[in-house]
Amino acid sequence: MNCTVLVCCGTGCIANGSIDVTEALSRALLEIGADASVKTAVKQTGCNGFCENGPIVRIMPDDISYYRVKPKDAPAIAASIGGKPVNRLLFRDEEGKPVLSQKANPFYTPQRKVALRNIGEIDPGQLADYRARGGYEALKKALAMTPDEIIREVEISGLRGRGGAGFPTGRKWRTAAGYEAEPKYVVCNGDEGDPGAFMDRSILEGDPHTVLEGMAICALAVGASEGFLYIRDEYGLAREHIQRAISDAEEEGILGDSLMGGGKSLRLSVVRGGGAFVCGESTALMASIEGRVGEPRAKYIRSVQRGLWNQPTVLNNVETFANIPVIINEGGASFAELGTDNSKGTKVFAMVGKVKRTGLVEIPMGVSLRHLIYDIGGGVIGDRPFKAVQTGGPSGGCIPADMLDLPVDFDTLTQYGAMMGSGGMIVMDDRSCMVEVARYYVNFLAGESCGKCSPCREGLRQMLQILTDIREGRGKKGDVELLEEIGETMIGASLCALGKSAPNPVLTTIRYFRDEYDAHIHEYRCPAGVCPKLTAFEIDPAACTGCTRCKRACPTGAITGGVKSAHNIDQASCIACGSCRDVCRFGAVRAAAKRRLAV
Amino acid sequence: MNITIDGKPCVCEPGEYLLDVARRNRIVIPTLCHHDGLPGQGCCRVCIVEVEIRGRRNIVTSCVYPVERECAVFTDSDAVNQQRRVVLALLRSRAPEADRINRLCKLYKVPEYERFASKSGEKCILCGLCVKACQSLGTGAIAAMNRGVEKEVSTPYDKPSDDCVGCGSCAAVCPTGAIEVKEDAASRAIWNREFRLRICERCGQPAGTMEELELAARKSGAEPSALCGECRKKAVADAMAATYGV
Repeated sequence: MNCTVLVCCGTGCIANGSIDVTEALSRALLEIGADASVKTAVKQTGCNGFCENGPIVRIMPDDISYYRVKPKDAPAIAASIGGKPVNRLLFRDEEGKPVLSQKANPFYTPQRKVALRNIGEIDPGQLADYRARGGYEALKKALAMTPDEIIREVEISGLRGRGGAGFPTGRKWRTAAGYEAEPKYVVCNGDEGDPGAFMDRSILEGDPHTVLEGMAICALAVGASEGFLYIRDEYGLAREHIQRAISDAEEEGILGDSLMGGGKSLRLSVVRGGGAFVCGESTALMASIEGRVGEPRAKYIRSVQRGLWNQPTVLNNVETFANIPVIINEGGASFAELGTDNSKGTKVFAMVGKVKRTGLVEIPMGVSLRHLIYDIGGGVIGDRPFKAVQTGGPSGGCIPADMLDLPVDFDTLTQYGAMMGSGGMIVMDDRSCMVEVARYYVNFLAGESCGKCSPCREGLRQMLQILTDIREGRGKKGDVELLEEIGETMIGASLCALGKSAPNPVLTTIRYFRDEYDAHIHEYRCPAGVCPKLTAFEIDPAACTGCTRCKRACPTGAITGGVKSAHNIDQASCIACGSCRDVCRFGAVRAAAKRRLAV
Repeated sequence: MNITIDGKPCVCEPGEYLLDVARRNRIVIPTLCHHDGLPGQGCCRVCIVEVEIRGRRNIVTSCVYPVERECAVFTDSDAVNQQRRVVLALLRSRAPEADRINRLCKLYKVPEYERFASKSGEKCILCGLCVKACQSLGTGAIAAMNRGVEKEVSTPYDKPSDDCVGCGSCAAVCPTGAIEVKEDAASRAIWNREFRLRICERCGQPAGTMEELELAARKSGAEPSALCGECRKKAVADAMAATYGV
């Protein structure tokens, strides 16, 4: 019997020590190898998506997954193969029962992997692994199709761009194919910059060939012979894997001068991004590839007509390309069976924040936020009340609790002022201040705006100042209306999509959490107990057990009190960081308005 | 093709920029970052107008908006005026010392926005015309630094640039007079660097900096001129008059 030990070596698991785990497992297996009846091979794979619980080790074909594996666990795992599983490394479900297979893990069970289909299953550095799972079959099939047939299949699939805007991919390809110009380019946008989003990185790292295959099919459809993958500078491993995949595929004659020997050529190269968020915007990205400053241009003439070096250019996101081989292999109609009327297929979400199970989740479009956060994510940490979910990154918005049953797709969330965007999802509990959330995003964007057009650059500067004032107790009557006024102008008059969507975090928090703004401005208090200038913490002596946890957590030594006697916070040295409240197990630390205590 | 701007029928070629069509028809649209010699900046957003196509209205930037189909344009609608006022107010707080912006604010009745934080002593609105002018001349001595709200235009590391020839084109195209040029009879100071001026042999007025005249000579393949621009024209006219005996 043959057995494979798959060790997750995505960036998250590597950070948690999975390279050491791989080595320890190889050593341990070698030691017992001589007399084992099972032949084992250790393989490094891409990201399993459940990064919080990494490093993840899977034993195949038994399909046993171990989590948070340390090098010292290697002998036990090696010894268990073919025998009894290592109980302590298994995932525990909500009832505390150990779970063997990922298929039975509540985080994975509801998922439907399309774009992520190979990740965690194959070694991204092995072209043979990819081919063994049907890799490059779609390209072979596409080579026998006419460009029109390829495009029609993509159109039937209903695939829309996964980068955020949701433009129909088939329509984009058809437009590009219609231009007679020579050369044409195909570009993959791997400049994933939304805070908290990492689905594109995982695909590039864990299944690089699927992106290349998608790009090659696109090149065939539109008549391009050169392509670029623009990958952000921070994604070193992704660049390495893509680079290797390109040379392996060229060596095998899959890419390069003659695509799979069919005579058509495609040269792909990797362009390292410079680290600017705005370079995820298509025209800024193209300017950056051309070697110019990464600033957007007005898009009255679309880049599909005049893109890179003024030639027709198809730019799609990593996840979009990852879906293409599936569409060609299984047909557009089969792909369209998943999802909603106007948003077909699946979407990968990066679920983070105050949720029990964080990670990458791929689900059919149209499922509810509640299903995503409660069934897959397991609900809010500590079972605290859910307050909001921030979707779509800095261009998105905050969705409140009473909208948890909204289906997640391209159009619904936009209707409510947020957006699905590239799939970032940050869950917030009642201890998140919505004014501070808005300020955080505006601060991020104020630093990441390219600064070209005045509504975005100056609008963000003023918004940041006003939000900072509100947070620090200097808010004034009319501030909320002024924020809305600036926001409307930014939406209308900004140059690019970044500027036009930059006010979304502010406008949605005003729309759904206006009371929090009013409390900051008029009552001089932060209801969530987050803004330090407006918050004072106090300990309820009746609830305090004198456990000293808060005293030990306090960074300024502001808490006094002996063991088993009620503690007290000295307001003069307290910086209102909230560490005491976070660690208290008895709900004894309460946030109050600062002024009330000071008086 | 035919379009209307504020109800007035206008004829234009497909692909012509809306601002050009309006100006040809004597319809005023305010601009800051637009310069006929360096078109396509499209960043101050003061020239926004509303375009209606098949019943749908959109705010567009007239200086970079190519007219591709028949449409009705509104330069004075409520939406345009409201957004233009906010843009001007934002620019005023960015560059409170810029007279041209203050004049535009007055013209378009922009109210005071007391909550806006003003930068003190600033005139630059970061339109980038100076950078474009410098690049177009082939010098590229100045560029935009940083991103977002920290953006500014300067020479590398704010140090005197070896590439700068002191021609002053940047200052000449600046819509708000933000680039300081100090000049006396013999020298010109700009971008932290001082340049010696060559004096016109004919009129005794400055003909330009040595570096500027050398660059022009290098590019044209001619000897550096000993005359200023005005006198050069006169010299050519004199030569022509002598040739044709006028």
